[in-house]
Amino acid sequence: MIQAPSDHPGEALRDYAFEELSAGERAAVEQHLALCGECATELERLRVTTAALRTLPDREIPQRIAFVSDRVFEPNWFQRFWHSGAQLGFASACLLAAALIVSAWHFAGGKTTEVRTIVQAASVPTEQINAAVAKAVAQVREEDLRLIRAADQKRDAQYRNQMIAINEYFTVQQKRLNYARVSMNETGAGQ
Amino acid sequence: MIFRAVEDADLIARVRKGDVEAFNALVSRWEKRVFNYLLRLTASTEDALDLSQDVFLKAYQNIRKLDDPARFGPWLYRIAHNEAYSLFRRRRPETALENLNEADVVSLRSPAPGFSIDLSLAVTAALDRLNPEQREAVVLKVYEGFKFEEIAEILGAPVSTVKSRLYTALDLLKTELAPVNTRGKLQ
Repeated sequence: MIQAPSDHPGEALRDYAFEELSAGERAAVEQHLALCGECATELERLRVTTAALRTLPDREIPQRIAFVSDRVFEPNWFQRFWHSGAQLGFASACLLAAALIVSAWHFAGGKTTEVRTIVQAASVPTEQINAAVAKAVAQVREEDLRLIRAADQKRDAQYRNQMIAINEYFTVQQKRLNYARVSMNETGAGQ
Repeated sequence: MIFRAVEDADLIARVRKGDVEAFNALVSRWEKRVFNYLLRLTASTEDALDLSQDVFLKAYQNIRKLDDPARFGPWLYRIAHNEAYSLFRRRRPETALENLNEADVVSLRSPAPGFSIDLSLAVTAALDRLNPEQREAVVLKVYEGFKFEEIAEILGAPVSTVKSRLYTALDLLKTELAPVNTRGKLQ
């Protein structure tokens, strides 16, 4: 608290000149100034100096500044997006997109190998291909003949078995007929 | 002052939604002050105008980073301060007032209406004798009328440092201007 003229406010006097003091501090300085001619003179000199400085006027700006609605001056799309509150959704979408890309790349790998294989096969000489094809065809035909022969043998065997069965059937029936005839003859001879 | 701060905050809210005309309204409010601040730092009309344009462009691009719209003024001057010192660093040591062209010197030393050319010359000469940090403290306090806390924010320095620079400068200016004041209209 500033009470006596001997207790000069010092920096507070300058703060007072620039209106940087609280109400209480301002009252204390004013109380001191009412009693201290030295500080009052110092305050006056300070005010005269600042008044002298303010004699230099502000100049008008030679060219007005104005902005037009141009994309160059506007915040870029990322800044606008990032401040839109959609960060979480964006992060989720990024993760999903990354998973899809990795998955697609993984499955696309097999197809790429297949294509490469076809290209390599196409580079083999035609003679070799023809030979390989002829060999494959011969193998197939041989296999077909073998299967046909086996089928014929199986059919012949079945036919023979059926014929045997039929002969056996007729034989049995012939024997039964003969037996019946013999039985009838014996019955007629006995009467 | 409070009403003005609210209006600035409203304009800033509109700018953040992409309203360029709202920003132009802000520019029209602040461009003269920013230009004069930069003119007193650089002592070059051309540099002050170029820097002013850069300052407002940066302000527009970064306005979403402004935490408190009520502090738009100090924030804008902080950009201006940084732009001016970037220029000084690029041009050092060519930023002294001795390198001004004649038109700038005459323009800078033109007195306000009603004051003598002697007083204006003396004030300009006295300001020239201050170091750049002292001169900027004087400009921000005496000409721009910022509070110490705002100046500290603009300069990125403690309030105590700001007051020290300002009061040292004023002691020098009192001595420099005393003979003129005793002759001039201020006495």
